[in-house]
Amino acid sequence: MYEVRNIAFTYSRRKILRDVSFVVSPGETVAVVGNNGAGKTTLMKVLATLYPPDSGLVLSDGQDALSNPLKYRRQLGYMGETPALYEDMKVKAYLEYRAAIKGEVEKRIRRRVGEAAEICQIPDLMSTPIRHLSAGQKKRVALADAILLRPRVLLLDDFLAGLDRTMREAAGSIVTTVAAFAGVIITGHEIADLAKWTTRFLVLSGGVISSVIPSAGMDYATTIKRVDNALGGGR
Amino acid sequence: MSPIAITCKRTLGVLKSLYSTVLAYSLFFAAAGASFAFSLEAAEGGETPIAVIWAIATAPLLPILASLLAMDVWSDEKRTGRIEQLLCTPVLERDFTIGKFLGVLIAAMTALGAFLISTIFFLYFFAPSALENQTFFSFLPALMALAMQSTLWCAVAVAASAAFRHAAAAAITTIAITSAIPRGLWLALMQWAPQGRLSFGEMPLDAQIFDITNGSISSATVLSYALLSIFSLFIATKFTTAARYIGRGARQHKWSMATVVTLTIVLSVMLLGLFYRLNTTIELPIGIHSERIFSEKTRTILRETRGEITISAFMSRKDSRFRQISYFLRALSREADAVGGARINIRYVDPRWDLGAAGRLVNIGADVDSLVFERGRRQTILPLGSNFSERRCASALQKIAMPPQRKKIYWTRGHGECPFEAYGPWGMSDIARELHFAGYHNQSINLAQDSEIPSDCALVIVAGPKSDFSKTETGRLDTYLRKGGRLLLLFSGEKDKDWIAKLLTGWGIAIESAKPDGVKTQSGTDVIVSDFSDHPITDPIRGRQILLEAPTTFSHSSSSEAPGADKIEYFELAKTGDYCVAAVSERGSNAGEDLELRPTRIVAIGDASFIMNAQLKEKGNENRVFFLNSVAYLSGSGAMTGADTEASRLITRMDRSTRIKFVFASSAIFPGILFIIAMAIVIAGRKRS
Repeated sequence: MYEVRNIAFTYSRRKILRDVSFVVSPGETVAVVGNNGAGKTTLMKVLATLYPPDSGLVLSDGQDALSNPLKYRRQLGYMGETPALYEDMKVKAYLEYRAAIKGEVEKRIRRRVGEAAEICQIPDLMSTPIRHLSAGQKKRVALADAILLRPRVLLLDDFLAGLDRTMREAAGSIVTTVAAFAGVIITGHEIADLAKWTTRFLVLSGGVISSVIPSAGMDYATTIKRVDNALGGGR
Repeated sequence: MSPIAITCKRTLGVLKSLYSTVLAYSLFFAAAGASFAFSLEAAEGGETPIAVIWAIATAPLLPILASLLAMDVWSDEKRTGRIEQLLCTPVLERDFTIGKFLGVLIAAMTALGAFLISTIFFLYFFAPSALENQTFFSFLPALMALAMQSTLWCAVAVAASAAFRHAAAAAITTIAITSAIPRGLWLALMQWAPQGRLSFGEMPLDAQIFDITNGSISSATVLSYALLSIFSLFIATKFTTAARYIGRGARQHKWSMATVVTLTIVLSVMLLGLFYRLNTTIELPIGIHSERIFSEKTRTILRETRGEITISAFMSRKDSRFRQISYFLRALSREADAVGGARINIRYVDPRWDLGAAGRLVNIGADVDSLVFERGRRQTILPLGSNFSERRCASALQKIAMPPQRKKIYWTRGHGECPFEAYGPWGMSDIARELHFAGYHNQSINLAQDSEIPSDCALVIVAGPKSDFSKTETGRLDTYLRKGGRLLLLFSGEKDKDWIAKLLTGWGIAIESAKPDGVKTQSGTDVIVSDFSDHPITDPIRGRQILLEAPTTFSHSSSSEAPGADKIEYFELAKTGDYCVAAVSERGSNAGEDLELRPTRIVAIGDASFIMNAQLKEKGNENRVFFLNSVAYLSGSGAMTGADTEASRLITRMDRSTRIKFVFASSAIFPGILFIIAMAIVIAGRKRS
């Protein structure tokens, strides 16, 4: 169980997050949506321990994650909104380096990299230099990096941005696969796509979760309409 | 592998693939090569060990190398946003920083090691004599000293890289902190108060290199470098951590216990060091001074002297020369023990603190900045002027060890000769002082006025007469020589000197009109003389070289042939090409012993300017020895052997063209080849990936 409790965050004296709370169960995929500037990326960075919150707790399996960040980061996969990779490396070398730096034992690195590549559908890109990859391929490599050590929580920030339709569908199937072993929190503006494979929508507005809209078991069109309404209300 | 090792490996991988690394290496090799080549030329003939010259020439370039290597390590991660990928991994910022620092340090040390190997390689080819008595281990303390400074510069460079998003800003900041500001301040201080050099000593960054390279490590220095390096890495870590707090104000930053403890320890040790001036000196067994080779003369004096000799160094401990003098005296003491001679006690008397001892030394006539040699009731004082040398010390030891017997040298006057008491660049006061310290008494004589040369004369020196001697004067000289007199003739210019020529011809030496042509030269106007015959005067400098300015040449005069005991022996002492530039003639040496007659000896040298103050100050080491040996031979006291021709002197024996080749090879060809090879490797690596 992954729980975010009363997170608050201030940036340049402006309250970006006031009181954000939600729970993500294992195997669940949660979409955090909101208008531009609502604080989605900030929330993801706080959850990824990149920004320390002003107050609030992040509980992973009931334990305070932020007070022991090294242990928490071992259970965490994070992918930023723009994949920042080492352009001089080949995909395989990059993933092996990332697995090693994340603390994976040497004899398991190759297996981990193979699994992640398989899930992210990039086995044929393994010997390609990263600088030769397209934006979509780079996102897949970044996702493979995020899921390398089979994290319990996967944070995907604006994952679908800039992807074409085919790639977005492929991304959906990848996330669904990953959700088998991790709770996934994903942010973005692509509600129609997200509605296909997320279980809940959390609408972030005014620094708080203003609405929680379940999508699992709901009519697809209704879900989209409700999310749109919630976002419109946010405006 | 630990995160530190992984990060270090990755940093090295990145550095290997960067054009900027190739450029940094090439620039470093070119600049350091040129710096060393010019420093070597400046130090030619001096006592500074080659390892020290190498280290001092290289040290100022290390901050630039470190800044160029480290400028990207953090700033690039920040600029591209990859720092987020690093900060959300289960690795401490500290480990990333240390890993990156180690990568940069290894790259810097590789450059340093490669430069040392290339230096030895080029010296081996161009100036093998400079490497005599040197092994790779002679350079080890120098390498250690530079490694110590490199560690700090790399740590500062990594911190600067962590502080900026732009590599250029990081590089400029590093150079400013590690080099421009401290050296600029020092230069400003010296401009403002030049007398301060005596109080403060040399530029601390250079003085530390000098000390360690000489085998003396100050624990305070090592501790300072270690602490400052750790502190710089700590700052680098803090800059990295600060990336999490951008836009949130410093008050949000929580000071962890580790931060507080680290800062407290660093500040406490620094304050302790400041208050108590930690300065425990550890002497390395591999130090250069432990290998110091003293001249045979010094060793003989030490060996033949018994009892105890006390040497008091009457000077301030803050004096810039204090360390060198201290090393020298300790080496002298060790040498005395090694040869089983006199036991040497060393005392340091600081005029500000050791008031009782200082008062006693003042009462015996010693001034501050002098060495006082004492053996029983005998004392001698040696001022620590700019001419302080091992030879002076040996003479001082000789003075108190052996009974005083001064031989008189008469310098002729009245023909425009170089005055031995003149202190200007064209005077000969330096060599006259050398003679004084060697136990001679210098006196002038005017042969036109004095009826005859005094009987106590050990030797007559004619030092570069500009006009000819009269018939009367040469007659007096001839009379003196026929009684077994000794004459040292130093020529100058091409003026007609008929009477001198006639005098010499009678003693087997003919003056030639031809000047050396097409021979080896260093500056273009001088002549390099390196062909020496087997003779007591030249034996100590065989294999070395002297420099003469447009010398007069000599040949054997056959008109002087005489039978039996009067037979004149003629030797060509020194030649350049086919030209003889120094000759010696001796009459009566065969029969001299039997008849108890003193054999006549004449040494003629084709140039007088070679022992002028200006010449000796620059590159006149062998010139000095050649002259002193000539005097010793003529006065019958045996060859002086030349204290400074020993291994402790730096002799490259490079002529002008070889030196140009050496500069060109070490500062252009080698860095150029390295640049091409490294670029090929980087391009191939990039193509492969």
